[in-house]
Amino acid sequence: MEAVKNKTQINDVDRSIYDIKDKVNAAFKTSKGLTFGIVNQISLEKNDPAWMREFRQKALKIYNQLDIPVWGPSLEGLNIEDIVAYVRPNTKLQLKWEEVPEDIKNTFERLGIPQAERTSLAGVGAQYDSEVVYHNVKEEVKRLGVIYTDMESALREHEELVKEHFMKLVTPGDHKFAALHGAVWSGGSFVYVPPGVSVEIPLQSYFRLNAPGAGQFEHTLIIVDKGASLHFIEGCSAPKYNVSNLHAGCVELFVREGARLRYSTIENWSKNMYNLNTKRASVAKNATMEWVSGSFGSKVSYLYPMSILKGENARMEYTGITFAGKGQNLDTGVKVVHAAPNTTSHMSSKSISKDGGCCTFRSAVVMGKEAEGAKCAVSCESLMLDSKSRSDTIPVMDIRNDNVDIGHEAKIGRISDDTIFYLMSRGLSEGEARAMIVSGFAEPIAKELPLEYALEMNQLIRLEMEGSIG
Amino acid sequence: MLLELKEVNKLPVKTFRWLGANKLNINEVIPDIKPFKRVELTGEGVKDIKVTYHNNKESENMPPTGMGDEAAAFICCHKNREMTVTVPRGKKIIEPLFLSYRLDQENPALAEELFLLAEEDSEVTLVITYEGEAGTPLFHGGLIYLMADKNATIHLIQVQLLPDGGIHFSNIGAECKECSKVNITQCELGSSHTVSGIMADLRGNKSELTVDTIYFGDKERSLDFNYVINHYGKNSKSDMKVNGALLNSSRKIFRGTIDFKKGASGSEGAEGEYTLLFDKNIKNVSVPLILCGEEDVSGKHAANSGKIDENKLFYMMSRGLSEGEAKKLMLEAWFHPAVNNIPSEALREQVFQYVKERLNHVESL
Amino acid sequence: MSEELLKISGLRVSIDNKDILKGLDLSIKKGEVHVIMGPNGAGKSTLGYSIMGHPKYMVEEGSLRFEGEDITYERTDVRAKKGIFLSFQNPEELSGVTLESFVKASKTAVEGKPIRVLAYRKELGKTMESLGMNSEYADRYLNVGFSGGEKKKSEILQMLMLSPKLAILDETDSGLDVDAVKIVSKGVEAFKSKNNSLLIITHNTKILEFLDIDYVHILVDGKIIKTGDASLIDDVNKKGFQNLSLR
Repeated sequence: MEAVKNKTQINDVDRSIYDIKDKVNAAFKTSKGLTFGIVNQISLEKNDPAWMREFRQKALKIYNQLDIPVWGPSLEGLNIEDIVAYVRPNTKLQLKWEEVPEDIKNTFERLGIPQAERTSLAGVGAQYDSEVVYHNVKEEVKRLGVIYTDMESALREHEELVKEHFMKLVTPGDHKFAALHGAVWSGGSFVYVPPGVSVEIPLQSYFRLNAPGAGQFEHTLIIVDKGASLHFIEGCSAPKYNVSNLHAGCVELFVREGARLRYSTIENWSKNMYNLNTKRASVAKNATMEWVSGSFGSKVSYLYPMSILKGENARMEYTGITFAGKGQNLDTGVKVVHAAPNTTSHMSSKSISKDGGCCTFRSAVVMGKEAEGAKCAVSCESLMLDSKSRSDTIPVMDIRNDNVDIGHEAKIGRISDDTIFYLMSRGLSEGEARAMIVSGFAEPIAKELPLEYALEMNQLIRLEMEGSIG
Repeated sequence: MLLELKEVNKLPVKTFRWLGANKLNINEVIPDIKPFKRVELTGEGVKDIKVTYHNNKESENMPPTGMGDEAAAFICCHKNREMTVTVPRGKKIIEPLFLSYRLDQENPALAEELFLLAEEDSEVTLVITYEGEAGTPLFHGGLIYLMADKNATIHLIQVQLLPDGGIHFSNIGAECKECSKVNITQCELGSSHTVSGIMADLRGNKSELTVDTIYFGDKERSLDFNYVINHYGKNSKSDMKVNGALLNSSRKIFRGTIDFKKGASGSEGAEGEYTLLFDKNIKNVSVPLILCGEEDVSGKHAANSGKIDENKLFYMMSRGLSEGEAKKLMLEAWFHPAVNNIPSEALREQVFQYVKERLNHVESL
Repeated sequence: MSEELLKISGLRVSIDNKDILKGLDLSIKKGEVHVIMGPNGAGKSTLGYSIMGHPKYMVEEGSLRFEGEDITYERTDVRAKKGIFLSFQNPEELSGVTLESFVKASKTAVEGKPIRVLAYRKELGKTMESLGMNSEYADRYLNVGFSGGEKKKSEILQMLMLSPKLAILDETDSGLDVDAVKIVSKGVEAFKSKNNSLLIITHNTKILEFLDIDYVHILVDGKIIKTGDASLIDDVNKKGFQNLSLR
């Protein structure tokens, strides 16, 4: 009832009903409307400065003009109407615990997630008091001069800094969902590390889970100033459930001269989600960017962390694993642009497909004319656990300078019977043998994560292998 | 006439649009396609095979091609040379057969359609050379179907030595039945624009396909490759090796796809692409794909590009060779494996001479 | 008279439709050391794999009994839990799994109860030392990048840590230098007691010099053609397999 009333109101105010050229998804055409009115409302609710309101409007305009990508997994199941409903401020659309699917609840159980956290993860309520833990961490890093806060507060308290960087790396024009993000973004983390400061404890976005309108359109902006270093961890292994099934987040990372940033992610969005996350890093002279990524959840993923090596000697390392089970189509990969001399990149990706899951590794390595002396090594290994599943590797290397060194190798195969026999001859059952081999396969990623995350990831793999989580 | 083909060398699975690697668009002016002088198949084995110079095969029954249907249709409509070679059942032709095309002012455009059918238990080697008169615009478009029946073996060697100012495209579609083997060697050394597509359906169990290609890009040459190997049969095997060199402002894109279809258990596919880069203005794009719908397979690919290994260069120079001489030597060594597949000493020599000639004109060496 | 540990009767085994073992009988009692020798292709490794239950090897006829129980169609891990161990000729590499964690998982599986971590680590360290293995191997991925000799030591290490009742050593001494052979032999000897048994498969006799052998069997073309005591080894060394008198 209320929804209808609102809609009428909006239609009166906003005459510019947008014209969507996209023929692919009918839902977008007949949408009840992501309108300028709604976007303005969001902006008002948040007390955006004028420039941000304008920014959102421009982004919406771009959104209306762009097509949905057709080169990846199908986005047919994406329901823009739900998205609109959840994006709307003051939404009464809060889920009740009883409505959370059984298999999600089971996973919380199996992963040993404390009761209090479960409601937060399930998007049921904002009651989890990670505030206390979060608060303590904030105090700690404040002493170092580090700014660690949510995006909305950052917009108020550090407006110039945010304005200088916000959506400059990932612009709304990049693709349709970047534009959508630009229009309706909400929540997320802002971190600024002053020059020379080395932040010993990893900062975790997990603390921010209880923000309202949780998670879907979070914007993470991290600036690591000259010579500083930081490890930021996004996500957690517990499935994050959301009835509205789109996650179109954006992560922008600025690694300044001589600095070092490690960005670890374990993404385990629930299996109804479309995870269209855009992550990009700009790496300056002598700086290092490290990506560690474990993708386990979502129904569909488009995930390609991209690094632009724009300063001499800039370095990028990517270690990632993707595990696609039943009903999942995970299209992940990595992109790097070498735009300066003596830059190096190293990418190691592993993927596992089982039970009809589909994994695609998609990469792009571009070495421009300025990439004199650049080096790149890509290694990609895929494990197929049965013939119902798919695993595709689609790398592209585009090189415009002769004084470079680029190597790429990829392998695909199955768990060897001989290896299973060997493990069984040492007393492990077949299931235990397979789980051990798959864990071993994922180990290089686990190694890069802080211990409790590694343990969680291994537990996750074990559960996936047993087929007992949804 | 205008040669306009919009969807050529399509990648079986698209990737990010901004890379521009998904397909090739051809839009070139080529000499009008008039009747071409008669060229006969030569070689000792000719008497043991069946050759007709008129093709009447239905295109629907033909396997798909690497460059795609549009390119195949173009040749089908405009062909001025056609030939069907059938190797009878059980016949093993050891001595190679030769087909030598030479384009010149009177015959500037060649649109050839060739069907090479090797019946059960037969074997044949066919060497096709393409040369031309310098100084006049030339066009060669080839459509070749290789059909290897049970236990048959086909060796196809193509040596392309066309002069600058020529456009060359080679479109191959192959089908391999049980236990058959097809080996394709492509030496793409000439012409200004080279487009090469190979699509092979390994239909039969234990069928095998190998591709050995070398290419040489200098000046403003452009090369565009699309090799797709579809593994359908169990225990099928494939191996693609592509070695090339890019100098001056040449550009190349190589798309190599190994596609394991569900059911192709026990299959093995390997792909190796190695490019030597010599100058700053080159553009080198590699797209090595592996698509897999079957668990019990083994697939691997490697793609490497860069300059000649410094250690090797140093070693050769320490033995008295100048840097230029050392690089030339390395290039020749680079091409050796594929050139060795050419079953004619005279032709091998010709190829090495050709490469030497071209290298002599390269300043950076 | 000591108890019978392993009894093989009329075993016929094939792989890929090819017969390898063509009617083999063998009886091993507790505390005994048996040696199987034979030319390449005779079926020696097949025998080892068959006792361990490799799924590719099909039992066409015959039976295997371990401590009186029929294990002819039993799964591999069940056989391992009953106390059979096979030291592989070409041990598998397991990237991502350290030697230490693997042996722990295996020991836990075979003993059927959780193990105490500190005690385990101590035992592992001591055993590695006795085999002349550098302690850093414990943290390396199982067999990845190990030399041939180190792989063999890794197998013997596992054998000592799992304490099986029957240990089958498949070409354990191949690829080892003189010193390594001595160390491995010592390890094998330390393992041997009156309650467990050894089945040593080899076509080379270096490792046998340091052990007390009870029986030597000559395996040719899938069948045991001759059984004797340790003196048979010299016979083989002098005459080769083809010229043995079949008495």
